[in-house]
Formats: sequence, structure tokens, C-alpha cells
Amino acid sequence: MRGYLGIDVGSVSTNLVVIDDDCNVLIDVYLRTRGQPIQVVQEGMRQVEEAIKGKNIEICGVGTTGSARILTGVIVGADTVKNEITAHAVAASHMVPDVQTVLEIGGQDSKIILLRDGIVVDFAMNTVCAAGTGSFLDHQAARLNIPIEQFGELALESKSPVRIAGRCSVFAESDMVHKQQMGHPVQDIIAGLCDALVRNYLNNVGKGKEILPPVVFQGGVAANVGIRAAFERALGLEVFVPEYFHVMGAIGAALLAKSAIRGKGRTQFRGFAVSDMEYKATSFECNGCPNLCEIVNISVNGEVLARWGGRCGKWETLQKTG
Amino acid sequence: MRVGIPRTLSFFTLYPLWKPFFEGLGVDVVVSPESNKALLDEGVRETVNDACVPIKLFHGHVAALKNKVDILFMPRLVSLDGKHTLCPKFLGLPDMVRCSISGLPEIIDFRLDLKKGKLELYRFLYRVGQRFTASRAKIIRAIWLARHNFSRYRKLLLQGLTPQEAFNCLDTGYEPQPEKNMSSIRLAVLGYPYSLYDNYISVGLLEKLKSYGVNVVTPEMVPERELKRMSKNLPKNLFWYYSNRVVWSCMYFLQKQNVDGVIHVTAFGCGPDAMTNKLVELETKYNPRKIPFLTVTIDEHTGEVGVATRVEAFVDLIRRKKGMV
Repeated sequence: MRGYLGIDVGSVSTNLVVIDDDCNVLIDVYLRTRGQPIQVVQEGMRQVEEAIKGKNIEICGVGTTGSARILTGVIVGADTVKNEITAHAVAASHMVPDVQTVLEIGGQDSKIILLRDGIVVDFAMNTVCAAGTGSFLDHQAARLNIPIEQFGELALESKSPVRIAGRCSVFAESDMVHKQQMGHPVQDIIAGLCDALVRNYLNNVGKGKEILPPVVFQGGVAANVGIRAAFERALGLEVFVPEYFHVMGAIGAALLAKSAIRGKGRTQFRGFAVSDMEYKATSFECNGCPNLCEIVNISVNGEVLARWGGRCGKWETLQKTG
Repeated sequence: MRVGIPRTLSFFTLYPLWKPFFEGLGVDVVVSPESNKALLDEGVRETVNDACVPIKLFHGHVAALKNKVDILFMPRLVSLDGKHTLCPKFLGLPDMVRCSISGLPEIIDFRLDLKKGKLELYRFLYRVGQRFTASRAKIIRAIWLARHNFSRYRKLLLQGLTPQEAFNCLDTGYEPQPEKNMSSIRLAVLGYPYSLYDNYISVGLLEKLKSYGVNVVTPEMVPERELKRMSKNLPKNLFWYYSNRVVWSCMYFLQKQNVDGVIHVTAFGCGPDAMTNKLVELETKYNPRKIPFLTVTIDEHTGEVGVATRVEAFVDLIRRKKGMV
């Protein structure tokens, strides 16, 4: 059977999926990136290899996405390296063909994608601030000593959510501390936080966007039923969370790999052996001009595989000429 | 005698006027190097914290020039078209720089305000000329050279050359033909010249788009009479010179050039752009063809990834919309 591998390496999680020719998800792997994208990609590859053992699946195409998409693309030998907006849109419109709005909240970024007739017509990403993304929820859950998995259900128990300023995560936190010291039950505080994050998201990322149903909510934060309920309250629409909401980026990358292969035939996939190779990332500051670019070197078994980070292209070219 | 001109802000609009003028007076013109990290770092250190990144960069350019020239040329630009004013920061620029950077050479900061009439430019140039020479004939000749060179520059921009390409062309006489890829998509990239054409601060946006095979049009490529025509579309125009040109050229590109998308490049915290950005967005949104629109915010951060992700996705969106993928 032919399989297509999609890898999404984000700031918080790394996801790998394998889909078949009919775009069914055969394998999905969800790992925490923990600041070590290379190791976690190798670990993910090991798990995928384990899972497809004996299933007679041949990997015929690989796509990468997420903030570490270039790095990952070099390591595994990707056929297509795409930004996460396109990947998420492709996956959402595949899973829910008539989708018109995609809400995506990940570890450190959040985006809204508007589609009409299956085509992306508009999108927006959060700007410099990471307020209202997964990392902040993680941090608050840890502070309140609640497992993040129970965060959403606790929010649903609330009868009267407190009002929390959601514009900035620093202010939100001090607001929460204030409310907790005033004696509000933790359920109401958590529900208030969910409302605040949704309000912040709709005011910043979704500012001026025409949100039409069906609405799909995906990304790691979609696991949080509290946030989902807050979205439904704020929008007055049903919000649909797809089965594979947490790996949608990877599914998109796999779908894109599948169509890329149609165009070019053979895959550049380096095989599952990559999980045992020794990849090393080093960096140095180039002193060639006052820009002082930070150049990243990726080497495998001592041989330089790729370089990037420069503005002039000098180091990237060195790689090609050896 | 060496006169220093910072390579930012009005540089991309007026340098072809100043250069032949000073050379005609027998003065050497020294331009600061292209923007780079060290220069921006220096500017960020010297400038008040609240200023936008182009102003910070300007301070860096001044700092880079101060020990290399005898005079800094930093006119107080008030109005360049006789109707609209430049951003207040342009007006206060010489004062800001004097307060922030020590050890500066002499600064020429005469006021240039064409609201006082069309001849004001010549009065201004004459005053500047008198600082360098007593010869009336020499000044008049320099003004004539400047005028001639400047109108050639404007013509080159209208042909679709970027300011840098036009500078090279004026220096060498070699005229590159702007490549036009007819099968490709065409994007209007709007913004102020000092953000668009400064490769460092725009994180290489124009080159990135070119590498995607996109045809790019910018406000500097719009003829003056078309801008004037577009200015009648608004019940009231904005106060600011560069902002108006962005809005008018946006209308022109949407109505006359059939662009496939609009990208607005704005500096984080830019006051005039609070209005400009919204006006441009509404123009695209209420266009019958519903033109895709993207705002790219530039700031001190050097991370190109954020801009690259958005621009790549934007180009993808348009390609898919046109059925090119």
C-alpha cells in the first residue's frame, strides 16, 4: 500500500501522520517538541516505523510544515515544505469539504482561515503577542495545579464565569490571581479565562473577518472543551472539532506531499534510517558584513547537509558547491 | 567639503534631486551605508523608545555619517506637494537627532514647505547653495542639473524600476528592462518608500516576492495625474503626504491595473498608518472582485520567518484562487 507522511513541527508539539491513497489517516503520532526538534522528529520517525511494521506500507511522499519545517524537510528529505496556513487549510477542507471558517490555536500562534468554495480567501495570524495560545493555558494550568486535560471540563462546570482581562497574558494572570484571592471558585475563574481568550482571539486575529458556518476548530487547544464552548457562546454558531484536530497540520502536509508527488514522480524521502543518524545543528555568527547573521549548520555524520540564516545567500551557496 | 545624506526616509524620494545639486556646487556627497543590523542597533540605542523603527533606523544612519562628513543635510520637510504634510516625525527630525546624538557636525535643516508656492523649492535650494558658494551662476546651474536629473528619475520609476535600479541607471546610463512575467500573478505592494525599498527593514520582501515569480507594483510606479484623479474618490483626503499616495495608488491598482492582491507594509506603531491601513483594507474588501489583502508589520525584530510564512501563504492563496496550482 502507498502511504504519505506528513510532519508538523511546531513550537510545542510535533505531529506525524501517514495517510493512504484515499487520504485515510493510518497512523498519527503526537509528541511534545520540548525545544529539541531534531531529536523529536527522529523519535517520531522511530514510532512511525514501528507502527507500519508488517503493514506493508511504502512511504511514497513526505511533506513538512510548522515553524521547524525547513529543518525537518532537510532531515527527512521532504518532497514539499509548506507554511502552516496552507497546510491547515488543505486539511480542514479535506475533512469538512464545505468548511468556511477555520479557527486554529496552537502552542504559540493562533490563526483564522476563511475559505469559500474550498479556496482560501483570507487569513490572519496573531501578531507579536502569544496571549491566548496554548502555552499560556499550559502555564495557567500548571500554576493552578490542574492537569491541562481537565482544564476544559472544569470550565464547563462553572455557573457564572468571572470577567478576566484577556488583552495581555500578563494582565490576565494578575487578574486571575486577584479573582482567586477574592474567593471566586476555580471553575468560574477557568471559565472566565476561556471567555477572555476567545474574546481576545476574535478581537485580534478575527478582527473584521466574516465568520460563517461551518466553523472548524483545530490545533492543540481544540482539545479544551471549555474554549470550544466559549467560542460557541461568542459566535452563536456550532463549532465543529474534527477527529484528528491535534494533527491537522501534519495531515495537510501529507495531502500536499501526495499532490506534489503526482507532479514529480519520485520521492526524496531519506528513509526511516534518519532516526539513527547523528544530526548535529551548530550555529555561528557571520562576520562578513555588519548584519552579523546567525548561520545554522545542519550536519549528518560529520558532513554538512544544509545551511541557512544568512541574508546574502553566501552560506547557502557554499553548501551546494561543497 | 563633504555633505552627508542618510540612506533612509525621504532618500528614496529626493536623493536624485540632492545629489546633482551638491555636485553642481562642487561638494562631495557621502551617503550612509545600506541599512544593516549594526546600524539599526545603534539607532535603537540612540532614539527615544516610542519612535517607530524607520525613525530609529534614521538615527543609526546619522550616527554612521557623523564622523565622515563636514555637514549633515537633513532638511525639515513639511510639504512636498503644496497640499499635504509629511508625518510630524519628519518635521521634528532635525531636533530629535540633535537631542539624541552627541558630537554631530553642522546640520543644514532649512524648512522645505511647498505650501508656500511652487517657487519655494528654488528658494530653498538657493538658500542651501548660498551656504557653499557666493556664485549666483553656480547655484542656478546646480539647480538646473538637479531638476533635470530628478525628472529623469521620476520617469524611470514610472517605467517600473525600483529606486535602487533607477539610481544605478542614472549613474551608469544602463537601463535594465523590468522583467514582466505575463503568466504570473500581479501584486500591489503598498507602503512608504523607506519601508518598501530598504531591503533590511522589509526583510527582503520585494526580492522574496520576485523569487516566487510574482510581478510587483508599488506606489512609486503610478503617474502623478492618476494619483490626482484618484484623490477625488475620497470625500476627504488624509493629512499625510505619503499616506495619501498609498491610498490613491491602492485605488489606481484596483481600478486600472487588475492586481490579484494587495500587501500593505506598515511599521509597528505608525500613527498615520492607523488610518491608512484601514482605508486600504476597506478598498480591497469592498471591491467587486474581493481582492485578497495582507498586512505585513515590520519592527526591530530580525526574524524573517513570520513575514515569510504570511507572504508565502498569501501567494499560495492567490495561486490557488486563480487555479494555478
